[in-house]
Amino acid sequence: MADYDRRQPGGGGGGSGGGGYNSRKRRYRASGSSSSFTSLPVLSSGAVRRRIVGSRVADGLSLDDDEYDRRPQRRRYDAPLPVRIRKQLLGLAESPLRRWHEEVQSIAQVIAESHEDQELQTSFLDLVPQMVLEQPLKIPFVAAVVLVVNSLKPALLDPLLARITSVTEERAREGEWRDVKLYLKFLACLQSCLEGDGLFPVLDELFSRAVDLQTASSDDTIGTELVKIILLTIPYILAAAPSTESEQKAAELMDKTDIIASEPHALQILIDPYHTEKGTESPVANSSLIGLLQKQLQNEASNGWPLSCLPRPWRMPLEEIEQQEKLDNAQKHALPTISLPEKVTTGPRPLFPEIYYSVYIHQDVESVPPASNVASSVIRDALLDTINVLHFNRNVTARFLIDADCYFAPGTFIKRATPFDRLRDMDGDRSSWKPEDVAVDAVFSQLFQLPTPEHKLVYYHSVLTEACKIAPAAIAPSLGRAIRYCYQNTYRLDLELSYRFLDWFTHHLSNFGFMWKWTEWVEDVNLPDMHPCKSLILGALDKEIRLSFAQRIKGTLPEPYQALIGPEKEQDTPEFKFNNEHTPFSAEGKELAALLKRKVPDEEIQPVIDRIHSAALDQSIDPLVTSTDVFMTAVCWVGSKSLSHVLACIERTKDRLLDAGAASEAARAQIITAVINYWSAHPGVAISIIEKLLNYSIVTPGAVIDWALVGDCAGPYGQALSKAWVFELVFHTVVKVTGRLRQVVKGGVTEGVQEEITAMRELFKTMDDALVSWAQGTKDQLMDPVVSDGGEDLVKRWGERWLRVFRRRSAIEEAFLNENQTPT
Amino acid sequence: MRPGVRSTVDRLDAPSAYYHSRNNKRRRNDLGRDGKDGRDGDIDMADAKVDEPPEDPLKNATTLYVGNLSFYTTEEQVYELFSKCGEIKRLVMGLDRFQKTPCGFCFVEYYTHQDALDCMKYIGGTKLDERVIRTDLDPGFEEGRQYGRGKSGGQVRDEYRDDFDEGRGGLGRAIQSERMRESERNRERDNHHEDDYGRLR
Repeated sequence: MADYDRRQPGGGGGGSGGGGYNSRKRRYRASGSSSSFTSLPVLSSGAVRRRIVGSRVADGLSLDDDEYDRRPQRRRYDAPLPVRIRKQLLGLAESPLRRWHEEVQSIAQVIAESHEDQELQTSFLDLVPQMVLEQPLKIPFVAAVVLVVNSLKPALLDPLLARITSVTEERAREGEWRDVKLYLKFLACLQSCLEGDGLFPVLDELFSRAVDLQTASSDDTIGTELVKIILLTIPYILAAAPSTESEQKAAELMDKTDIIASEPHALQILIDPYHTEKGTESPVANSSLIGLLQKQLQNEASNGWPLSCLPRPWRMPLEEIEQQEKLDNAQKHALPTISLPEKVTTGPRPLFPEIYYSVYIHQDVESVPPASNVASSVIRDALLDTINVLHFNRNVTARFLIDADCYFAPGTFIKRATPFDRLRDMDGDRSSWKPEDVAVDAVFSQLFQLPTPEHKLVYYHSVLTEACKIAPAAIAPSLGRAIRYCYQNTYRLDLELSYRFLDWFTHHLSNFGFMWKWTEWVEDVNLPDMHPCKSLILGALDKEIRLSFAQRIKGTLPEPYQALIGPEKEQDTPEFKFNNEHTPFSAEGKELAALLKRKVPDEEIQPVIDRIHSAALDQSIDPLVTSTDVFMTAVCWVGSKSLSHVLACIERTKDRLLDAGAASEAARAQIITAVINYWSAHPGVAISIIEKLLNYSIVTPGAVIDWALVGDCAGPYGQALSKAWVFELVFHTVVKVTGRLRQVVKGGVTEGVQEEITAMRELFKTMDDALVSWAQGTKDQLMDPVVSDGGEDLVKRWGERWLRVFRRRSAIEEAFLNENQTPT
Repeated sequence: MRPGVRSTVDRLDAPSAYYHSRNNKRRRNDLGRDGKDGRDGDIDMADAKVDEPPEDPLKNATTLYVGNLSFYTTEEQVYELFSKCGEIKRLVMGLDRFQKTPCGFCFVEYYTHQDALDCMKYIGGTKLDERVIRTDLDPGFEEGRQYGRGKSGGQVRDEYRDDFDEGRGGLGRAIQSERMRESERNRERDNHHEDDYGRLR
């Protein structure tokens, strides 16, 4: 839906996320659904009608308009039954105005009554498993429909159970563990209509697999994933079929999972989002997801499993006592066996242990469930699945996040958009959890997921953007608090995550007029540039300017920040240093530029280069470095109009540049220096150009690393390490190298792979050596007290942070090679 | 989801209705009514291939048409935003046919189809340079398509726009020139008035 800004999201087949803004459409939907409620008992359909009339009045539409409007007559078209049922199922629980049990009953009744309608039954059979995977928040509600159907027409359940168990098997074979988890969650909600122990034997089987895997290797991640699935399924069983037997079975299972869940995973240290200084403990040191879950469930068990956040749409209110009795006495079914594959596999995505991360958990007032409460895990799990499953429609994802309170037990959250300050005044026993904080927290946990989240980071940006567009008054203040938390903790955040935060923050601001309360951080403007907070400010301003332009950004900043954006940033095309007569080789520089502008053949360039060489020799400076500087700077200047211009110019001169780059290390470094110096006010442009030079192999990845980390070119005394753009340059270069290698390995090419692997390892080695010397303070520049300005500790800290990022990268690439490389 | 199964939620990475309606129109009427739909620099479908079995030209598309840019948005800005979905292979700015200045659209080419789809999902409909931009999958750039096809050289949609859009040169160009002529006429009339006043004095 590219033209989404002109169309309603979600409408038509979408079901969820549709409706809302267009009053005409809403009225149509309302009248559509009221007509499809005709088979309902009089009481509830009357209630529906009253509500519609009420909402029309609330809309400010006079009844007269409706009464004499002839349009509704045309709209009295009834969609075929399967279509209507599909629509109602898809829209389950979406509206806080409808009551769960009414919705559930009305759908179930139609399905049970039309048991001979082949089309309807097929569509129901197809839709249920699909909804379970695509709209995970609605699983309990779909299950409730199925339970009511069972109480009315038990025969309809067997094919459904057969279908679900067979797709579960299939997904388990493929290693699609999230899908398995979702199907099991659905079956857990059906526990009350299953014979015997219901789902428990399946969980037992899963556990025995997990034990095998864990005993085989302590690095194993599938076993922990299976334990996570077990622990996340148990609460749904107990919410659906509370009984002493269930509690007994759950207790037995949890006794067993304890060993695996409570043991910190070997890889956990690698993926901790915090990188604290030596001697301090990470705020999430004890927050392994399964470890927390285990404790939370034990906690629930000792309180008799209240599980107060879970919705129980299968429980009828008092006035529906008849239906409740039918449900209680409904026929039970044997769950078809779900056999797990002989050899379980990881599936398409590498698995890592998970850490529970929250940007709100430190607050003095609880705006999200605390890590001791099972609600934190259960709600987070459902939201994360929603976010990651619905990557193909961020508008719907955002809608689900905003509506999160619709899908959990009433009273779980405080009213939407309640200001944070108001939480303090809450009564002791009422919940103070803000639904928007819980939603934003879930997205942030993905943004800050190491090693990488499931989708591109920009997806999570876009979800936050949409959520902020749908409910700015609710979401924006929550984001503000999240931003403050990240800013204040940037010093101990993993450096890669710090950079991710920077990237998201500026991208987000660019979608909302670059509005931010910069005044809050005004005091940090005077910190040294190497301070993590100042570094973040400088990085953010640069990124903002890249997405906009200097003058615009200046206009959004309070006075103390103005000095951070110098006049050179407002200049679109930087000066050509050789236009200044006093620059050495000024004449040659201008001449080369003129030649390049005229696009002369290379032969005409050579004489000028020769002249530079001989002059340089006379002054006993490196001739090639000198000529490379003049030439590359001229290329930048001639191409300064736009990236296309400079790329075209590089394309025309690439042979000369390739030769220069191949001739010496110093010349390669000079190419980079020339580009960065010319574009020093706009590092984003420089980085783009260097990326293209890497593609042409004019510069090598090693040269970029040397330039940034070894040669002191990017800033003296380790200052380079604090610059966000230097990190970006190096990070992109490394990603380019590893990405290419992965492509080659996956493509099954064997020729030259070993060379590439060696090259990659060398690259990581170079980085490691350089960074270790910064981190340990053994770098020459650092040891020289004359030149350093007392920031040694800052530099060491930056060195450590860099080191951690690239050691992790290296470890992950090695793990990838381990798994994917055919032994040679 | 498996191919062939309709998702329970619409996908944002499908080609727009515009793309399909355009192709159908071409099929029905070979003359084509260029730019009638308000988008320029569009696909010149090879007319001869019309009858061949429909191989979806977007199946492996790596290029996106990007619309509703400000005339002042630079390549560097486009790079900065669109690189978030993957490395950009090529960027072609849409230019005014006569003045050779940006006229509010561009083509972004990625290295992979997946990057292009992701861009549809994550960037289409968000803001660049404070404007909501629009992305559409495109079968690929061809020389000539970088130019606007409006009468005045820009995009067709900028000819008859009657809203004032500062980022796209104010009012529609046709309307602008209309107004210009009108004010010219008015000025002539005003001159007469001044003369008249002079005479009265």
